[in-house]
Amino acid sequence: MNRIEARLQNLKQKNEKAFITYITAGLPDMAGMRELVKSCEAAGLDILELGIPFSDPIADGPVIQAASYKAIRQKVSAAAVLAEVQTLRSEGVNLPIVFMMYYNTILHYGVKNFVDSCIRAGVDGFIIPDLPYEEQGEIKEAIAAAESETEDACRVPILIQLVSPVSKERIPMLLNGARGFVYCVSSMGVTGQDAKFHREIDAYLSEVKEISKIPVMMGFGVRTAKDVASVKHKIDGVIVGSHFIRLLEESGYSTDTAMKYITEFKSELNRESEEL
Amino acid sequence: MDERYYGTFGGQYVAESLMNTLKELDAAYEEAIRDPKFIEECAYYLKEYVGRETPLYFAERLSREYGTKIYLKREDLNHTGAHKINNVIGQILLAKRLGKKKVIAETGAGQHGVATATGAALFDMECTVYMGAEDMERQALNVLRMEMLGAKVQKVVSGSNTLKDATNEAIRTWAKTAEDTFYIIGSAVGPYPYPKIVKEFQSVISKEAKRQILEKEGRLPDVVMACVGGGSNSIGMFADFIDERDVRLVGVEAAGLGIETGKHASAMALGRPGVLHGMRSYLLQDADGNVELAHSISAGLDYPGVGPEHAYLKDTGRAEYVSITDAEAMDALMELSRLEGIIPAIESSHAIAYAKKMAKTMDRDDIMIICLSGRGDKDVHTIADYLAGKGYQN
Repeated sequence: MNRIEARLQNLKQKNEKAFITYITAGLPDMAGMRELVKSCEAAGLDILELGIPFSDPIADGPVIQAASYKAIRQKVSAAAVLAEVQTLRSEGVNLPIVFMMYYNTILHYGVKNFVDSCIRAGVDGFIIPDLPYEEQGEIKEAIAAAESETEDACRVPILIQLVSPVSKERIPMLLNGARGFVYCVSSMGVTGQDAKFHREIDAYLSEVKEISKIPVMMGFGVRTAKDVASVKHKIDGVIVGSHFIRLLEESGYSTDTAMKYITEFKSELNRESEEL
Repeated sequence: MDERYYGTFGGQYVAESLMNTLKELDAAYEEAIRDPKFIEECAYYLKEYVGRETPLYFAERLSREYGTKIYLKREDLNHTGAHKINNVIGQILLAKRLGKKKVIAETGAGQHGVATATGAALFDMECTVYMGAEDMERQALNVLRMEMLGAKVQKVVSGSNTLKDATNEAIRTWAKTAEDTFYIIGSAVGPYPYPKIVKEFQSVISKEAKRQILEKEGRLPDVVMACVGGGSNSIGMFADFIDERDVRLVGVEAAGLGIETGKHASAMALGRPGVLHGMRSYLLQDADGNVELAHSISAGLDYPGVGPEHAYLKDTGRAEYVSITDAEAMDALMELSRLEGIIPAIESSHAIAYAKKMAKTMDRDDIMIICLSGRGDKDVHTIADYLAGKGYQN
């Protein structure tokens, strides 16, 4: 089974919610990133979203934009990050890793070639915020081809589907055939808007939850477990991006800070869910 | 065939949250252009407010100098000084039809920003224009003009602080506020249906020019030429001639300091297909697939991508794309000023410069139409710096 699916199935059996964080690849530097990934795994993180920096990140707010530019200045490329993931896997890291990236990076690399490189490196999924359902034909074809060519089809990355508060009648189409988890964007626009969720967040999450056969994760603008307290009975997990990056930047990429945040968030997320 | 694509170019590479907005926009647009009242309203403002139709002027002295018959389509005589207003009138009437009270726009040199601010003043809409911090400094007078017109100019400090980043920021804001805000894209770029909409509203240029040349010469031109940044004046200039197979279509990109120096804005000369600003098209990018900065003395051509229909016209061979350096464009600007008493925008001067080269391969009686997309008033500071040998900031 794909690492993402295996982990989420395991959580379901334990009746626990998933906690996912985003980090920008290559920060503070490659070695530091590897340490950070290992710390995240040790702290009990369920899935890591690893951001491949891109020059024009239109779905990201100022915090992730700044991190992205910093990484680009340090010459962090998709090829270099793939090599790091491969190293992490060889060192025994089993944390599910999802690449969060923009489509041009994949196109430039070559779609099929990129999917194959991800299989070799041990990447488990893709989140591509500028590739809506209608434009996914090319990458789905590459993924399908890889599944038929690879002996162990579970090593082929999953394309994660994003759903927005205004997707409405598009939701059944988006979820048809979706695997791994559904990424529910909590607000309109970009990442990092400090818990300003969409005004119809309740109805929206309920609708997705009702239709979805796979776990539902909520992301964009989440900082603390409290931010999601009122909606968490409708979701299977939470994604934190900008706030986590801000904590890392402020602490000089301290692994202790990262571990403390993950441990506390996870326990609070699950403690409260037991009370409900 | 997928109507969202021009061959393999175009598409809708945007966040899921904008897909319904684009669908709504396309439906509203298709309905509007079939509504005689909408067409009539557009025509009214283009005539009474913008000052159309613009002349197709026979440039006699230039023709004699270059050795072929040259007609200039005088888009520089439009209100606000360039072709940009044609599209703004159309899109703002569309915004009004959709019940939106707020408009946003991106701008590089400031011409599209000024045109949008003008339209917003005319139709009493709240207007915010996104502009790179560096461009705000380069084009301080246009910032003032937009503010005088009641628009808010939002300084963008991210990435390279220029048009590319202003466009990113406008798209981000639009994704947040699309429920009550209309995004007026100024060039023939962006996700479908924008390239189609911009082409339609700019096609007035070629519709008029075709009728005018038939009146004056009794035949179609041999060559139609225009400069290409994102490609709005050129797609408007080409539109009505695309099906006239005997008319050669020539698009002139900016070669900056020279293609070989790497400091240029010719997406189609050296770019490869990529995805930026919601579309798949030719794009200047580095070895890792990050978007490279364009370089041109002309802020309006200083864009690393190009509209998807141009990419398609290039690949199918229907149009030819060439490039002109900063120095060649500036020489042509001075030449047209002296010979015809017309100071062209630096953007349009790229087309004039290529016309000089191309005319050498043409006969005296051949006919060439050049889109003079804008006037050079906005460029006098850049021209002064250039003449003083100080170069320019980019």
